Amino acid sequence: MATLEKVDVVIVGAGASGSLYASVLAKAGKKVVLLEAGPDWQMTDLISSDFWGRRVKPSGVPFLFEGKNPYGYAYQGGWGVGGAALHYFANFPRYLPTDFKVKSEHGKGLDWPINYADIAPYYDKVAAEIGVSGDAKAEEIWRPKGEAYPMPPMKTFRNGQVWLKGLEANGIRMVPAAVGMNSVDFKGRPACIYDGWCHVGCPIGALANPVITYLADARKAGAEVRALSTVTRILTDASGAKVTGVEYYDAKKEKQVQEASVVILAAWAAQNPRLMINSSTDKHPKGLANSSGVLGKYMMAHYASGTWAMFDEDVEPHMGTVGAQYMSYERYDKNSKKAKGAFGSTYIVAGTALKTSDLGGFANARLDLFGPKLAEFMQRAKRGITRLTAFGEEMPNIENRVELADGKDEFGMPLAKIVHSFSDEAIALWNANFDEGIEIAKATGAKEYWSARGPMPTIHLFGGTIMGEGAGTSVTNSYGQTHDIPNLWVAGPGLFPTEGASNPTYTIFAVSQRGAENLVSKWGSVAG
Amino acid sequence: MSDIERRALIKGAGLSALAFSVGGAEILLSPRQAHAQNIPFRTLTPEQVETLEALGETLVPGAKQAGISNFVDQQLSIPHGEALLEARILNVRPPYANFYRAALSAVDKASQAKNGDKKFAQLSADERYGFVDLMRQNKIEGWQGPAGPFVYLILRSDAVDVVYGTMEGYAALGIPYMPHIAPEKRW
Repeated sequence: MATLEKVDVVIVGAGASGSLYASVLAKAGKKVVLLEAGPDWQMTDLISSDFWGRRVKPSGVPFLFEGKNPYGYAYQGGWGVGGAALHYFANFPRYLPTDFKVKSEHGKGLDWPINYADIAPYYDKVAAEIGVSGDAKAEEIWRPKGEAYPMPPMKTFRNGQVWLKGLEANGIRMVPAAVGMNSVDFKGRPACIYDGWCHVGCPIGALANPVITYLADARKAGAEVRALSTVTRILTDASGAKVTGVEYYDAKKEKQVQEASVVILAAWAAQNPRLMINSSTDKHPKGLANSSGVLGKYMMAHYASGTWAMFDEDVEPHMGTVGAQYMSYERYDKNSKKAKGAFGSTYIVAGTALKTSDLGGFANARLDLFGPKLAEFMQRAKRGITRLTAFGEEMPNIENRVELADGKDEFGMPLAKIVHSFSDEAIALWNANFDEGIEIAKATGAKEYWSARGPMPTIHLFGGTIMGEGAGTSVTNSYGQTHDIPNLWVAGPGLFPTEGASNPTYTIFAVSQRGAENLVSKWGSVAG
Repeated sequence: MSDIERRALIKGAGLSALAFSVGGAEILLSPRQAHAQNIPFRTLTPEQVETLEALGETLVPGAKQAGISNFVDQQLSIPHGEALLEARILNVRPPYANFYRAALSAVDKASQAKNGDKKFAQLSADERYGFVDLMRQNKIEGWQGPAGPFVYLILRSDAVDVVYGTMEGYAALGIPYMPHIAPEKRW
């Protein structure tokens, strides 16, 4: 085992939040090392194929999945530089003011220690930095005013347009979806050509994945990326008052120690608490920065109620982007479906490119079909099928958790399990959104329509290292700095005390930008 | 060759076809080509191939000729980190061969128990269809192995992949493929 020369910052994970932190810190003159467990993907690795797109996702993760609604992982997970954002859909909706104050407004869930106004400037900053297409003015029927997006909305296609009549008939206003994609050339990156391969990675850079944005900037500023490097332990000094670096296995599977003044955990939301618990010492017997006892707790996931519709006309299902064409916060009021026993926000999107295979492909639109009936269905669906999706919110529940489990991974680190069950209110909202989806589809005039029912899905992952007002009830402050150990920081959606209902990456970027700038501004008092 | 070296080779070559062993040398073929050329199997037994091809053809017509068995066999023979199987993104725990062996065995055992000792491949087309319809609904009594609906999902996905997920599959459906970076050999 070698101990490597001390650096200013070691970042665990080169995904969305890690790449942003690396960019900000390297530009501020800090010596930054990113340790990434997966490969160092290049844009040329992003082959337009559902088969080959699976290469950039995890295989054999060191987690077990338990509970009534076990977390589904690999499809949406990241493996390698860029993380999940290497192949994300790049939907960039914001959270709304209500998302930050659920406890205060409704007496359930949790509050964030900050307001929408604290994050809003960073949404604008991120948009200007990496490019967002959309219509901010149109969105402002639901949210406070902000700056215009740097690019106009993306093109729309019939597979999205055909939903508008049904949505309007149900009183649901739609606006152009905000997306992290280029509707026009932006900062040397070309405009999107709408070929619908976003979900396996966009090699031309029209979609703002971290490899072409923040990580590229970080590398230019001198940050070093060490791929195939798996961190197994965070190291602390004898007093337990500060971290001194991390222990990891390099690409040759040899153990190394990287010392650093600051450690930033930017791995997957479940991996960060796994690492922190595995780094227990006599000074931190329940895991690092866990005086609150909530480390690994309050894991949350989104769920979706999809509605399929088949039209006689050719809606060109394969065209567009995998991100949405239209979006709506019309059902975002957390009590909008209270009469059905539901609680939580709903975020609605319409218009998505559909390929044939893989989990999201239209061959899976009727999972009950096989044989000649499936062949016949594919012939009809290739022209007429399209999908509407309503995403739902669950409330934080302390029983939904990450904890170490029996068994070890290839590096000798204990496996972890994610225990996750949806509440009755979340299940009620899921069902209510299916009902409304059918009403919307009916009003479109579609030839056929049906709900995309199956096991209740788990989408995105939040919590486990939540931010809060103090060490009694949370792991970090609003910037991601742990309450207990000032030079140990956490980044990503694990910080979120509530999850809202809309896609999280824009908020992950905004929260990370705010945290990274804060770290730079108080570096002298933080660095160990 | 280590995993890392193999990965570097794959990245360097921009490989999009699959590597099959023929006479000690590795050649790049699509699964359909591998099937047509009777490329030897590396991992699956002849009995498993027979069951897999019968199941694949029942699930998605054309899957046998499209090389479902060659695809799955080749994928099971490489490091799991390089695998392109849908099993990868559905949380199946590697090595993936364990799942396929258990799944194919469960299908044959259930078929034998239900159909007078006949394995799945020995059933008539109607019997195969009826069996799969029950399997997908978890309605086969005495089923032993990975859950029937999950076996259905995984193998149906493999069959959909080789029939509809290739450039040939898109062309057959009349859908423009429109790649940024095209897979080699239309795969």
